[in-house]
Amino acid sequence: MFISARAAHGTCVFLLLLAVLAGCGGSARTDGADPKVTSLGSIEVTAKLVDIIGEFPPNDLYDYAYVLKYEVMQTHRGEAPKTIYVGQYNPLKPRAEAADARSGEIGGNVTAFHAGEVHRIALEVPIDDYCMVGIINKYAEQTQEPIYWAVWTNRVVQ
Amino acid sequence: MVFTSHIFIFYFLPLTLLVYYLLPVPRNFFLLVMSYIFYGWWNPWFASLMLFASYVNYVCGHVIATSPVGSARRKRALVASVVISLTTLGFFKYFMFFENNLNAMLGVLGAGALPVIQITLPIGISFFIFQSLSYPIDVYRGDSPPVRNFFDFACFVALFPQLIAGPIVRYNTIAEQLVQRDHTMEKFASGAALFMLGFAKKILLANQMGGPADAVFAAESPAMLDAWFGVVAYAFQIYFDFSAYSDMAIGLGRMFGFEFPRNFNAPYLSDSITDFWRRWHISLSTFLRDYLYIPLGGNRHGERRTYINLTIVMLLGGLWHGANWTFVIWGAFHGLLLAFERWRGKESVYSRLPRPLRVGITFVLVLFSWVLFRAVDIHAATAYFKAMFGLASASGGSVLLDSILYTRGNLIVMALCAALAICGTQAHDWVARLTMPRVVLLLGLFVLALMTMFVQAFNPFLYFQF
Amino acid sequence: MAVSRRVQLSLVSIFLLVIFGEGIAQALIELGRGERPQALDLFTRTPNAANLRAYETEMEKTAWSAKALRPVMQYARYAGYGDLGEKALIGRDGWLFYRPGVTFLLEPWPQTAATPMPQEDPLEAIVAFRDALAERGIALLVVPAPGKPSVYPERLSGRVARTRTDVHGPTRTFMERLGEAGVSYVDLFTLYREARIADPDAQLYLARDTHWSPAGLRMAASAVADRIRAEGWVAEGAVVYEEKVVTIQRQGDVLRMVDTPRIAAEFELERVDCQQIIETATGEPYHDDPASPVLVLGDSFLRIYERDEPGSAGFIAHLAREMKQSMASIVSDGGASTLVRQELQRKPELLRGKKLVIWEFVERDLRFGMEGWKLVSLPNTETVAAS
Repeated sequence: MFISARAAHGTCVFLLLLAVLAGCGGSARTDGADPKVTSLGSIEVTAKLVDIIGEFPPNDLYDYAYVLKYEVMQTHRGEAPKTIYVGQYNPLKPRAEAADARSGEIGGNVTAFHAGEVHRIALEVPIDDYCMVGIINKYAEQTQEPIYWAVWTNRVVQ
Repeated sequence: MVFTSHIFIFYFLPLTLLVYYLLPVPRNFFLLVMSYIFYGWWNPWFASLMLFASYVNYVCGHVIATSPVGSARRKRALVASVVISLTTLGFFKYFMFFENNLNAMLGVLGAGALPVIQITLPIGISFFIFQSLSYPIDVYRGDSPPVRNFFDFACFVALFPQLIAGPIVRYNTIAEQLVQRDHTMEKFASGAALFMLGFAKKILLANQMGGPADAVFAAESPAMLDAWFGVVAYAFQIYFDFSAYSDMAIGLGRMFGFEFPRNFNAPYLSDSITDFWRRWHISLSTFLRDYLYIPLGGNRHGERRTYINLTIVMLLGGLWHGANWTFVIWGAFHGLLLAFERWRGKESVYSRLPRPLRVGITFVLVLFSWVLFRAVDIHAATAYFKAMFGLASASGGSVLLDSILYTRGNLIVMALCAALAICGTQAHDWVARLTMPRVVLLLGLFVLALMTMFVQAFNPFLYFQF
Repeated sequence: MAVSRRVQLSLVSIFLLVIFGEGIAQALIELGRGERPQALDLFTRTPNAANLRAYETEMEKTAWSAKALRPVMQYARYAGYGDLGEKALIGRDGWLFYRPGVTFLLEPWPQTAATPMPQEDPLEAIVAFRDALAERGIALLVVPAPGKPSVYPERLSGRVARTRTDVHGPTRTFMERLGEAGVSYVDLFTLYREARIADPDAQLYLARDTHWSPAGLRMAASAVADRIRAEGWVAEGAVVYEEKVVTIQRQGDVLRMVDTPRIAAEFELERVDCQQIIETATGEPYHDDPASPVLVLGDSFLRIYERDEPGSAGFIAHLAREMKQSMASIVSDGGASTLVRQELQRKPELLRGKKLVIWEFVERDLRFGMEGWKLVSLPNTETVAAS
């Protein structure tokens, strides 16, 4: 409205550069390894979050664990089948903020869960031995496989 | 995308404004792209329907414009655009209604029900279909020149400020603006002011009134006082919600250099139903007048035909709002009252009473119509009317309604809504005379509304469903 | 510069500052933390409706402005409007209520088109569960727990004291349906009503929590035990328990849900005298025994005082004291409708040797239970035998 076309072009280029820089800034590859994920739990895998059925209920009155389906890409510690069902505690919260007195030590750097993303996860099994809250399992009618409990969940960028 | 959302206010709008004003090249194309992103944000597939409606009407308009006046080709193109547009609207909006009613009839006849095909209603379909349809009609009538290219036309149909819930902008209103429009500081400032005022109305008034209205209309058997409180709350909710959307739409339009028609003019100060329809959703009533009432013959074929035309227009206007018998009855209610007042020389039966009484009676009549508009079905509307007239007492858990209704917040906001509705000052007029104290007040309200947005649940505009 | 021009400039510049400032500040904060700006996540996902909704929600939830201002506004609305947000209601005399519990009583249920009937009928799930248990020789006793507004409606509404209306019509109807279907249940509503008629000041529920008080749960445990004895489903055991009074202080789950410390600070902690159950022989607090003939399923009404502070002072412990034997239990907050049965399916050993299953759920979960009321089969007999 009030600036010249030349200034406009210059600003556009500047903003584009800024966006590219910002886009590249934090997207460095990472295998998700850190002292927590490599030491906590009895099993450690790198796995792809295959899908999330339904929507996570709100965290108002209740805490809960929500079962997500993963495809294991690499097993670092312990044993795990190709497909695992993993309960994430209060999945609406970033992992770094999810832990409380009822969950025990859990955490990680995943801020939100999206199908298709790859996570490095420290696990325990079966979930009922570790999880003291309701377990929402949309796969209950599809499989009787044991459900894993996610202790530490880090994002993997490949 | 919703205007009163974090993503729109803090990301979509600034980005769109920034690039729009930095772009030296034609800006309509950029607005078109952003409008499709805005619309596709709900469901990207819906955008393809809008593209289809735009393309069909653009092609038909082009055929009309390039055919000789009075030619059969010209008429065929117009008919094609009307049929395709209304069929599209009918399929997405009314097919399930038709199926359900057909099944109900089959049930009465003892036959088995047919399977009902579930169709998702694309948001704002009634608005963009009507808008795109106005183009071939305007070109056919010679009211508008043909558009210079498809992108300009698609931009007109999709223009995000008023895409979802109006005001319904006819092609001939902004044909020239699509080619040439001014961008001035004054226009931008008044646009920003209108937008902020609308934002505050929606968040601070309409959403607050939505709580008690929803509670009473969902209750099993509200007490008489609760029923009246609920419908008054709904009257304020729908007015401050819809007029807020219109203010924001017009404000956004000004920020991008457009001037859209105003949609409201103190409707709750109407002293008759005829007056109400001059003040409420003005863009719809003028659209229906110009594209339906007048083609039906208007008042040119005698009194009887005029009354019938008025009733038909309002019936269809009711159905335009939604595929439900409640909307049909709502339309019929208004249509009959309009016809009755027309019969009395555009005067209400209470026209000799003092103005405050006329306004009060009209408001009560409008409240009755809002019961039909808000109730989920005829059965619920009937039960609600019974509650309003004390024919059904509160029972069971409904006695607990007072704990939800008569809270400090609801009473304060309802009083504020009533005061604003009665004083009749309209956002357009208020922002037309901006002073520094008004700017301070406006910015204060805007910031307060933004902060309130963070603690409110997702609350889309009521007219999105239409 | 003319005044009007100055006014316009002021308005436009502050407006632009507000709408541009948020996104820029957010990006700078994230870059400062060494993270990629979250706004760019938009380009990392398939642009479908679900991903776009999720993106929008995350952007709003993690915004610095929302995080900073939400508690301020929540407190301002509480102070100005007496409003505790979407999920909580302020009652009288400092009592707080969970709004879905009130909604359940207000709205018609079974539902009209306004609020669709849940996909699964609770009665169907309960009858199927009862029948599956019966095939294994196990009896089922259902215990619908009254929500707080059903027991203390006058603490919520000024009108109820005058009208003395029964506010829990939907649950009353449901219990009648249970009876017609031959399902055994315990009517705690009548029990509590009679208790309040006898002593209007009886504190059967906590003021700022959705759950019953120690007095309320003891009354419920006693009624359930009476019913078990009367039906002869399970004989009393021989374990001797004693009570130890432990006083705790609770903020209450309604305030916890509101999650605004400044609001919570306005309310005193509720002092609760609990009766912890101690096994006389060992001096240890009560603990479950998976081999017990009685399995108790339920929601947070079973968790409170039992697995929460002070421990072993909840419904299960008091029922054990009444029945003079340990119980087995599955407890799932908000999950008594379906989640407890799914957990039972994963734990077939819990069914071994059972004679009775007690199934508690709060009344509002008839409509709002997490995961609805799915039909869940029992673990097969071979699995139980093998385990």
